[in-house]
Amino acid sequence: MNSTLGYGLILAGLACAGFGAVVGIATGMAGRISGLAWVRRAVVGFFVCMVAANLLMVFALLTHDFSVKYVAHVGSRSTPTVFTVVSLWSALEGSILFWGAILGAYVLAFSVAFRKEQSRYVSLALGMMMAVGVFFAFLIAGPANPWTPMSPVPLDGPGPNPLLQNHILMVVHPPMLYCGYVGMVVPFGIATAALLGGQLGEAWTGSLRRWTLIPWTFLSVGIILGSWWAYAVLGWGGYWAWDPVENASFLPWLTATAFIHSTMVHERRKTLKLWTLSLVLATFLLTILGTFMTRSGIFNSVHSFTQSDIGPTFLSFIAILLVFSIALLSARGHLLIPEGQIQSPLSRESAILVNNLLFVGVTFTVLLGTLFPLVTEAVKGVRISVGEPYFNKMSVPGGLAILFLMGVGPALPWGEADRRLIGKQLLIPLATAAAVLAVCLALGLRGVLPLLTFALGGFVAAINIRELVVPARIRISQHGEAPWTALFRSASRARRRFGGYVVHLGMVVILVAIAASHSYVTRTSGTVRIGSALKVGDYQVKLLGFDEGVEPHRTWRAAKMELVGSGEVLRPRMNFFERSTDPIGTPAVKSTPLGDLYLSLMALSEDGQSATLNAWVFPLVGWIWWSIPILVAGALIAMWPQRQSRRAMAPAIGAAASSSSKLRETA
Amino acid sequence: MSWRWSVLLAAAACTALVVILAKGFGKDPHQVPFMLAGKPAPAFSLQKLDGSGKVTLSELKGHPVVINFWATWCGPCKVEHPVLDWGYRQYGRQAEFLGVVFEDTVENSRAFLKQSPTPFPQLVDPQSQTAVDYGVAGVPETYFIDAQGTIRGKHVGPLSLDALTARIKDLVQPVAQAR
Amino acid sequence: MGSALPLAILLSTALADFAPQQAGSEPLEPALEARVQRLGKQLRCAVCQGLSISDSPASMARAQLDKVRAMVSEGKSDEEIRDYFVARYGEWVLLQPEAHGVNWLVWLGPVALLLIGFAVIARQLQKKPAAAPQASTEQQAKRPVQAPGDEDEYLARVRAELDR
Repeated sequence: MNSTLGYGLILAGLACAGFGAVVGIATGMAGRISGLAWVRRAVVGFFVCMVAANLLMVFALLTHDFSVKYVAHVGSRSTPTVFTVVSLWSALEGSILFWGAILGAYVLAFSVAFRKEQSRYVSLALGMMMAVGVFFAFLIAGPANPWTPMSPVPLDGPGPNPLLQNHILMVVHPPMLYCGYVGMVVPFGIATAALLGGQLGEAWTGSLRRWTLIPWTFLSVGIILGSWWAYAVLGWGGYWAWDPVENASFLPWLTATAFIHSTMVHERRKTLKLWTLSLVLATFLLTILGTFMTRSGIFNSVHSFTQSDIGPTFLSFIAILLVFSIALLSARGHLLIPEGQIQSPLSRESAILVNNLLFVGVTFTVLLGTLFPLVTEAVKGVRISVGEPYFNKMSVPGGLAILFLMGVGPALPWGEADRRLIGKQLLIPLATAAAVLAVCLALGLRGVLPLLTFALGGFVAAINIRELVVPARIRISQHGEAPWTALFRSASRARRRFGGYVVHLGMVVILVAIAASHSYVTRTSGTVRIGSALKVGDYQVKLLGFDEGVEPHRTWRAAKMELVGSGEVLRPRMNFFERSTDPIGTPAVKSTPLGDLYLSLMALSEDGQSATLNAWVFPLVGWIWWSIPILVAGALIAMWPQRQSRRAMAPAIGAAASSSSKLRETA
Repeated sequence: MSWRWSVLLAAAACTALVVILAKGFGKDPHQVPFMLAGKPAPAFSLQKLDGSGKVTLSELKGHPVVINFWATWCGPCKVEHPVLDWGYRQYGRQAEFLGVVFEDTVENSRAFLKQSPTPFPQLVDPQSQTAVDYGVAGVPETYFIDAQGTIRGKHVGPLSLDALTARIKDLVQPVAQAR
Repeated sequence: MGSALPLAILLSTALADFAPQQAGSEPLEPALEARVQRLGKQLRCAVCQGLSISDSPASMARAQLDKVRAMVSEGKSDEEIRDYFVARYGEWVLLQPEAHGVNWLVWLGPVALLLIGFAVIARQLQKKPAAAPQASTEQQAKRPVQAPGDEDEYLARVRAELDR
């Protein structure tokens, strides 16, 4: 019953999406808004069908209805409830179903946000987003169907992958990532609508930016949470392995970040239009490519699923999107001719242009490295690996250059810069950098790359903090406001700017933490008997004994390690799941603001008298996860809508074709 | 004019991307390359599990050798156990059969073999150094070495009766005829 | 822990199908062990999803690392150790591609892209607009551009303030 109902909902969703796509695009291209009301209804219908299908699947999982193929595939009576719900997105078919629901939610949100807007552009945008919805609904109905009825009905299932039941982060990381990934459909819809409609109005570039910032925030949080999960769960002491699927999530983040900067130049100078639009289209394409990489089974990855029919279907969609994007950009080339010009190399515009290039360079590097094993296999028939050493080597220079630009960009003004003035303004930041370097050298830290990162971090932080504080200082001196009020008001008056600089500060924290935890890590491994201690860095851990436990879905053994000096007991453990022959370790981590002590249990002796451990001290690694509030705060400030309408803004050209509308930036 | 060139370049790059991805289908990304086929088998000298002495590869020169890497914790290894038994009974005169325990303890292996004994010798591989020497990437794997001491090939995964028969027939032929 | 015995029996039967996590060989003295770990970072674990043998907790990775340790203590060079593994597992076992033949693409491709990109940008920036006002470049610096949106007169004063 669940199967039929679920499948029916998917087919209904496919019908709604198809209807919405056809009507939206057809009427939008013809310049009419007659179909808009129906398109909006189709969007609501798609949303309702998708969400209902997801809820039904969760219901089937919770009631252990093994007559549904997906439940038989990932469900199990012995899995704890929270992980049963999580198994909705833990395997291939369920994750595509989940994708459909989030897609429906985003498109509905866009439709609601622009509910007062009656323009062909909304029609086109919704139509394009529904077209993407058609693809995913088709996938769920066809190659990735989770609803196939099982016969005979099994009594129990194998349960989700044990790795996914080990930690609570698994509950949060995928939804965050999906909200980021899927959300990129909206900017895609807006951009293609503007291009198809033939006009790139200012209001649309504003919406484009805001509707990219929302998924960007989710994506950033999702990626960081993912690396936190890898760190806290997998026990190898790393948080980023340059795994193909990790790279797949990183690529659209890179182009989205580049877009967020490029669009500033687009709005102010009416140039870099081709860059900006290409970056938006590329971001969406990369999300689809990323989904393909995860689900096609042609990549060797921790996340990969087995090969299925889904791969060729996805690849066809990618090919169609590529053809469509190139055709659209070249057909509408006349819209992308710059109206302004970058006046001088020493200006914020050119800094952003260089920034664009660097981001595209890093994106290209990561993409090439991830795909290269496929290239050599196709060309030479030889299998090679492109792993961490390559990516670390190739991304460090680009990363440092981008860090440098994060400081120089805000320091440079729009237009042309006076060299002397810039020189004067950079004095304090350079002094800060030198001071940071001196302190590090005094502390005994060595190594060109980490010291350079720290110095640049100081430089960038100084510039960004000054840019945040100076407007407040002016308000204090001119309006006599109290400091916090002044800060708040100055932020509120210039949200994009303030939020952007806060995000820059968050990124500095991340890059400094990465440099520190990578370059100054201490590692020891050894076998200790009960009563003896292992020394790692400044810590000593003594083996007290062992703990054991049995849970419905796993059994575990832990080593009780006492931290000599503080008496704290850490319990790194090995979890044994039914489905796998190798145990999955859970490391024990002691976090302090200055670094983490990380213990991973590698082996237990048969006589129960000794344990083999890997131990690390990672300086500053916790700062990576603690930057999440900074990034989120900055992004929220930047995207917070202004209450008063922007009278200074020229009326949206995009609305010219339709009836007049007061275009507010409500979205 | 440069407009056209950019479009062409973009189109070419995208086509290359799609072609490369398409070529990835049908291949198993988890397959580990094996380079020792046709090369001399690495030498080893390992203790027998029952404690009755050593087996040295060089002493077996002149006879084809079948080496099976297995472990007690490996399900498919247990599945192929009777196949290897049968193989030994059929072809034990033509080829030497050896089992090597991979990443397991002596106690586990002895306990398993007490329940399901094998007629051919089982060897202990301390710290799996011989397995690494042979390029083992998991269990079960079975290596087929000819009378001259060259590795003809290896079978990854549990053996079936047909696969084993085919391999052994191939093994006992001299190289020239082994096409 | 009075009920330890039944629990132990339960665990031993439950754990029957798990690879026993035996310790690897003993670490060498610090300088050599550091070399072992460094080499380990370059070699791929044969059963994992892209982890190096230094990072992977799998038993196969431990066996491979033991081999590296044995070879380092025998005095073999880094290249000999890498060649040893390549002879058995192919180039696949090296976590970064050797620079020869087609592989040069992956090492030089990004560099080429950046160089070409910088060249294009430099050319674009050098092309001064023909009808641009040559005079009053200082005026332009003093009078910041009024951008639509949040940079209003107040912020213009900020700029003026900073320019002082």
